[in-house]
Amino acid sequence: MLQHGPLLERLLAGDFICQISDEDGYRHLSDEQTQQEINHYLRPLNRRLVSNDDGSVFYLGYHELSKEAREHLSSQFALTVQSLLPLLEWLQLVQETLGRDSALTAGDTIKLQEFVLRTEDNQSLRQRLNALASDRFFNSQSEQLDSQVKLIFRRLKEHGYLLQPHSERQYYIVTGKIDHLLDVIRFIRDEEQLPVDDTPSQEALL
Amino acid sequence: MAPLEPSLASNLFSIGAERLALLGKHHKALMQGYLDGHIDETAFSEGALKKLIAARILWRPDEQQPLALRPLVSELIASMVADENRRQINADVAEKLEQIRNRVQAYRDAQFKGDYSVAELQLQRLTEHVHDLSGQFEEAIDSLWHRLNSDFGFVSSLDDKIRENERAQKQLRRLLDGLDLLDFNELIELSEGNNHLRKLLVSQLQNQLSSHHSSLLEVQKRLVQLLAKFRQQQARSMLIANMAAFLRQHPKYQPADYPNRSELPTLFNQAAAIRPQAAIALDKASERAVLAELVRALPRPSSIELPEQHSASFAELMVDEEIAARQQALKTDVENFYLRVIDQGGKLSALEYLAQQKLDWDSEIWLYQILAEYQALPLEEKRMFGILRDEAPASSVNQLLLIRDIQIALKAA
Repeated sequence: MLQHGPLLERLLAGDFICQISDEDGYRHLSDEQTQQEINHYLRPLNRRLVSNDDGSVFYLGYHELSKEAREHLSSQFALTVQSLLPLLEWLQLVQETLGRDSALTAGDTIKLQEFVLRTEDNQSLRQRLNALASDRFFNSQSEQLDSQVKLIFRRLKEHGYLLQPHSERQYYIVTGKIDHLLDVIRFIRDEEQLPVDDTPSQEALL
Repeated sequence: MAPLEPSLASNLFSIGAERLALLGKHHKALMQGYLDGHIDETAFSEGALKKLIAARILWRPDEQQPLALRPLVSELIASMVADENRRQINADVAEKLEQIRNRVQAYRDAQFKGDYSVAELQLQRLTEHVHDLSGQFEEAIDSLWHRLNSDFGFVSSLDDKIRENERAQKQLRRLLDGLDLLDFNELIELSEGNNHLRKLLVSQLQNQLSSHHSSLLEVQKRLVQLLAKFRQQQARSMLIANMAAFLRQHPKYQPADYPNRSELPTLFNQAAAIRPQAAIALDKASERAVLAELVRALPRPSSIELPEQHSASFAELMVDEEIAARQQALKTDVENFYLRVIDQGGKLSALEYLAQQKLDWDSEIWLYQILAEYQALPLEEKRMFGILRDEAPASSVNQLLLIRDIQIALKAA
């Protein structure tokens, strides 16, 4: 257990561990034996290891759902629901701005400067970014494009969706936490039977 | 087929060479024609156009249509430059097999008649057909790998990539079906009693085709994987777009209370953070040395007592006790801010701290005092802190930098 000290500390701090955010840690966590050891260790802290459906991210959940745990989960869920639309809009905006043919996935790199440059000259992207930056999830007070973008990316980094490999250099890597976000969306869609398709219609296929 | 007469053969040679030279002579205009899909007739003299048409390099598909490259020429270029948009795959094996059978028969007939020069020629043609057959697969496999390795990058949209992938899979199935047409028992029978034939049709062809077969299976596996990936990406994009649209249309939408369900979905089971803290303990004698080292490493207050300076003092102007008290309170708050930076060890934003502590200083005065305090530190202690200014030009025409926030960070000793 000693060797997993730093990893445990990250998990306890609420980090999501994926192949991008911590390659070694992720490899350890994918091992069933290690999972058991860690769960055993976490038991007195009322924590356990949780992963998403396809096992691409690990994080800590409660072992027993005490009243306090439920309260925490409720407030966190409220935050998650609040953050859904701004995050989805950001995903769409990045995809369109950078002219990518598919949605962002874990491991994709985004250069901040490129994003700013492409937004600058496009009135409609500029407006959408403006609206997004002032959403309370990002809560930017600035009118300047550059600082709006920086703030958005900083917030996403704080929330664990992005990783900035060098603090001096303005490029970011998408982490596996984005998979968790999409799993949440898919779950809510299925559970509530929302009219939200993710397979192309038959006409589109033809 | 009778061997070619020497005169005819030399005629063939000169015509072929002349026409190949035509390709070279007009290479730029022809390549432009390949890219545009038609030929710019003004780029050629009338004589040149006639020659190119006679050489079956150019043709007019229809009275109304401009001149264009003949399909075979386009195909040749597509294969030479590996242009996957236009490259053709020829999966027709039956025809080639038929030709091979005929050649074998002609070769045997000639040998039987003792006409060895004809037999030699037939054997040569047969060798060409066998190489053609193998080359046809090689070309197709090369094209398939090329498309795979570029992730179908020659088309831009994901939908097109999916369509291209499906097309490649169909081609691959035709190629595999073609390979199935080859019956090695038949080839063994064809080559019976003849070493040349056995070498050509059995050992060589069989070897090549079985390696093509395994290449094709590998390509097929990769194509299927890639298609699954494309479909997954497509599903993701659609989910994002449609869910965003749904949420925009229903701003008041609230999902069910999942965290309070008796069966909590694991997705929503994210525990609160625990941050392990530790402090110095003195109960282990063996660690005293380490502790002493740490204590020694602490920055020491400068031991030189400076005589009190009475320079032009603006403190004396602060006769009003109330102002002096406020000034002192501000100083204390700023000091507390610096202490917090030291305790916390990371970066701390001045304005965030101000808001957090609910201090009612004006933000400008607060930032100013933090800067002043920083400047007033002795050089040695100044080095302990890193100062990051969050600043921006006053406006797009005024380059004056306005400080919006300050972050103070404790630097590692």
